[in-house]
Amino acid sequence: MGKYDKFFALAKEAGLEQVELSISEFRSLNISLFHGEVDEYKDNNGYAIVARGILNGKCGSASCDVWNKDKAAWLVKEIVANAKVIENDDPIFIFKGSEKYHKVNTYNKDLEKVSIDEKMKNLYALEKAMKGIDKRIVEVAGTEYSESTEKHTLMNSNGLNLVQKSNYFTFVGQCVAKEGEQTKSGYDFFLGNKFEEFNPEEFAKKIVKLTVDQLGGEACESNKYKAVLHPDVVTSLMRAYIGHANAEEVQKNSSLFIGKIGQKIASSKVTIEDKPLQKNVFARWFDDEGVATYNKPIIKNGKLETYLYNLTTAAKAGVQTTGNGYGGGSKRGIASSFLSLKPGKKSLDQLFEEVGNGVYITDVSGLHAGLNPQSGNFSLQSTGFMIENSKKGKPLDLITVSGNLLEIFKDVLEVGNDVTVSPSGVSAESLLIKKIVVSGK
Amino acid sequence: MISKKLAIEVLNAALETGADYAEIFYEDSSAHSVLIENGKVETSSSNSLCGVGLRLLKNNQCVYGYTNELTKKGLLALANSLNKSFHDKRLITVTKLDMIKCKNRNPVTRSYDDVPVEEKIALIREGIEEINSLKDPRIVRTFGSFADNKRFVAVFNSKEKWFKRTTEFGRMAFQVIAADQNGFETGFEGPGAQHSIEYFRTEKVNPRKTARKAAETALKMLTAAECPSGKMPVVIGNGWGGVLFHESCGHPLEASAVAKGLSCFSENNIGDYIASPIVSAVDDSTIPGEWGSIDIDDEGNLGSKRLLIKNGKLNDYMIDDLNGRRMDRQGNGACRRQNYRYVPTSRMSNTYICNGKSTPEEIIKATKLGLYAVGFNGGSVDPTTGEFNFGCSEAYIIRDGKIAEPVKGATLIGKGFEILKKIDMVANDLDLAQGMCGASSGSIRTNVGQPTLRVSEVTVGGRGGELK
Repeated sequence: MGKYDKFFALAKEAGLEQVELSISEFRSLNISLFHGEVDEYKDNNGYAIVARGILNGKCGSASCDVWNKDKAAWLVKEIVANAKVIENDDPIFIFKGSEKYHKVNTYNKDLEKVSIDEKMKNLYALEKAMKGIDKRIVEVAGTEYSESTEKHTLMNSNGLNLVQKSNYFTFVGQCVAKEGEQTKSGYDFFLGNKFEEFNPEEFAKKIVKLTVDQLGGEACESNKYKAVLHPDVVTSLMRAYIGHANAEEVQKNSSLFIGKIGQKIASSKVTIEDKPLQKNVFARWFDDEGVATYNKPIIKNGKLETYLYNLTTAAKAGVQTTGNGYGGGSKRGIASSFLSLKPGKKSLDQLFEEVGNGVYITDVSGLHAGLNPQSGNFSLQSTGFMIENSKKGKPLDLITVSGNLLEIFKDVLEVGNDVTVSPSGVSAESLLIKKIVVSGK
Repeated sequence: MISKKLAIEVLNAALETGADYAEIFYEDSSAHSVLIENGKVETSSSNSLCGVGLRLLKNNQCVYGYTNELTKKGLLALANSLNKSFHDKRLITVTKLDMIKCKNRNPVTRSYDDVPVEEKIALIREGIEEINSLKDPRIVRTFGSFADNKRFVAVFNSKEKWFKRTTEFGRMAFQVIAADQNGFETGFEGPGAQHSIEYFRTEKVNPRKTARKAAETALKMLTAAECPSGKMPVVIGNGWGGVLFHESCGHPLEASAVAKGLSCFSENNIGDYIASPIVSAVDDSTIPGEWGSIDIDDEGNLGSKRLLIKNGKLNDYMIDDLNGRRMDRQGNGACRRQNYRYVPTSRMSNTYICNGKSTPEEIIKATKLGLYAVGFNGGSVDPTTGEFNFGCSEAYIIRDGKIAEPVKGATLIGKGFEILKKIDMVANDLDLAQGMCGASSGSIRTNVGQPTLRVSEVTVGGRGGELK
C-alpha cells in the first residue's frame, strides 16, 4: 500500500468527492562565517503537506508537517469542517491533468557531490577577499552558504501524480564600509545550481564595490529627474506591476489593468514575458493545480496581451487557464512564474549618455511599506548616484523616489542590454525613465 | 511530546563531541484561519505544526537542525549528525532535568479549541455589516478574517532544566479597498492579543469599530492629495507610530546586531546619550495578555521588562544567551523564534516609547507647518547604518497648529540615531499596536507603541512637490 493510500481511503469514507495532496520533502544546509569561524551551521530535513478536498462543491483545506495515520484522519476531519462553512460559489477544480507536459530539469545531481570542504573553502575565500580589496571595508558582517533540495509531489483522487525535483545553492556576502563619520553596508546574493559557476573573488569584488561606492553620498535637491533604474529596482517594481495582471484582482475590481486587454498600457519598448519553462532553477513545468505551464508574453511592445489565470478564474471568464495557479490553501492563488523583461540594445553607458544630467537609482527598500500595491503609488527609500554630464557622478544618500507603477512603465524611453537575473526569479535590465520624483534636501 | 528520559539521551548524544550547550525545542501547534471576502466565506484552513529543533553551542558557534521524525531513532540521528561539527572531548553529561517554574500571565479563559468556526464567522460578519451600512459605492472589496493559534512548546537543555508552555492568541483583521476614477486606496486594521475570542467583543476592541476604521481610512485616503516631499517637522501619532522606534532603534538594540559590532549603536556604551533627554523607551514582555508578551523565552530565560533608554541615555539591550557571550552578559529573556524551523535569537516583544509631559493637542498647536502621520504600513531598517524607512497609510498636513487636509503616499526616512535626538515633544497618550516582525529567526508577534510625539525634522518622500 502506498504511503498516502490511507488518506484517500478516509477521505472517500467521509464523503469527500475529490481530494488532493501537495507534498514537499526538503533538505537544506546553511553555513555562515563570522571573523573566520563558523558562526552558524544548520542542517535541516523537513516535510510539508497541504491537503484539500471538495464536499458538496465547496473546498476545504488543512496542512501539516508530520505524516502518520492520525494525521491522515486529522486532515480529513479538518477538510470536512472547513468545507462546510465555505459560501463562495466559484467553480472549484481538482485537476485531471494536462494532455502534455514540457518537463524542464531543475535538479543537478552534481551539486549533491560537492563536499562540505569545497563549500567551506569558497566561504573562507569569499570572506578573505572581501576584507582585502579596500581599506575602507571595516567589517565583513557575514558570509553564508545555503543549499536546498526539494521534491514536490502533487497527487489527487483523479489519478494525477506529478513530481518535480529541484536543487540550488546561494552564497551571500555582506560588508560594512566606513569613511569619516559615514557608515554604509552592502550585500549581494549569488544563486545557481552549478557550483563551478561561483567565483568567490569576483563576487567579493562586486559586493565591496557596491558598498564603498555609496561612501561620501549626500541627498540631492528635491526635484523631478530623468533617471536610469538599476535592474534590481526594475525587478522590484515589475513584480508589483505584473500583480495587476492577476485575473482574480481583475474580476474583483481591484486591478489597474481592468478592461485593458489589447490596449497600450506601457511604452512600446516594454515587453514582459512569463517564462515558467525557461531553463534555469526557477523553472516550473506544472503549476500548483497540476496544469502544464507555458511561456507567454503578458505585455508585448507596450500592449497588454493577457491576464494570468488559474482554473477557477479561467472558468469564470470562459477562457483556458494560463497555468498560473500558485499558492497553498483551499483556494489556489495566481502568480507569475519566471518574469522576464525583454532586453534592449543599449549599454548602461549609452543610457547615461542619453540622460545627460539626472539620477541613477541602484536600490530601493521598504517595498512592503512604501508601495501601495492597489493604487500603484510608491515612495521608497533609495540609494543611487547623480548622473552628471552623461557619467555616473557622486553617490546619493537618504533620498526617496516616488512615482506610480503605471506611469513608470509608460515613461520608459529605453531598455538596457544588461540582462540581470535576480534570486527572486526575475530577469530585468536597466531602464531609462522620462522622470522620477526625488525627495532629498 | 517527548519524554524526559528520551530528552536526556538526545542531549547527551548531542554533547558527545564537546559542545558546551545543547537544547531540544519541541513544538506542537495548531492554527486556524477563516476569511470572508465581499460578505461570503471564501476560505477556511487548518494548519498543524509539529517538530523538534536541536541547537548545539560551543563558544560563539551555533549548530542547528530540525526534524519531523519524532521517534527515538529520528532524534538520535539528528543529534549524531549535528555533533559532527565538533571534535573535542565531552564537557557535559546531563543526568537529570529540573522544571523551570514561571508565571502564566497570559492565560486564555476559553481555548480556541472550543470555539466553533461559526462563532468566528459571526464575529467577522458583524464588522462586514458595519462596512456595508456605510452604503458607500466607492467601497469595491472587503475582507474580514479571524486567525487563531494554539502553541505548545517544551524545551530541554544541558543546564539540566526544562519547561513547557502553552500560548494561545487570536487576531481579527479587516481590509477595505475603495476606488474612484483616480484609482484605489486601502484601509487595514488588525488587532490581536493573547486572549480568548471574548476579547474581540469588548468596548476597546470589537468588529464594528475595527471594520469602520478600516473603511474610513480607505475612503479618506481616496480624497487625499499626494504628500509633499522634503524635510519637515513630523508629528507621529500614538500606537502604530511606534513602528518608527521599532525600526530605527529597536532592531539596532538587539544583541544579534550589537554583539558583533554591527549595530549603529555598537560604539555607544551604557549611559551614553543616544536620544533626546525627554525620551525613555522600554521592551516589556511581561504585560499580561499583550500580543508580544512571553512568560519565558525560547531558551528558558524568564520574560522581563528592559528599560532600553532612560531619559535619553542608553540603558539596556534585548539579549539572548549566545550573543550575550560576546557581550559578557546573560540573556535577559528576549530569545525568540517563529517556530522549530528557526534558530532563535534576540528579538523585541512589546516595545514602546514611554509617556511624556505634553498633550497631543499641545503638540499639534505648537506646530506651524508640518506633517501629522497617524497610520502606517510598516517599514524596514539596516541596523548597521541605522537607515530606516516607513510608509504612512494615513497622514495630514498641519497648518498653523491645526490638522488640515489629508495626504497620501508619504514615506519617512532617516537614520535612527539622528531621529532619536530630534524628538522635541512627547505626549501622554501611550498606546500599543499589533504587528508581525520579520528577522532571521522568522516572523514573530510584536507590539509597537508610543504616545504622540514630534520629530523636529524628518525627510519625507512623496509626489506632491514642496510643502507650502
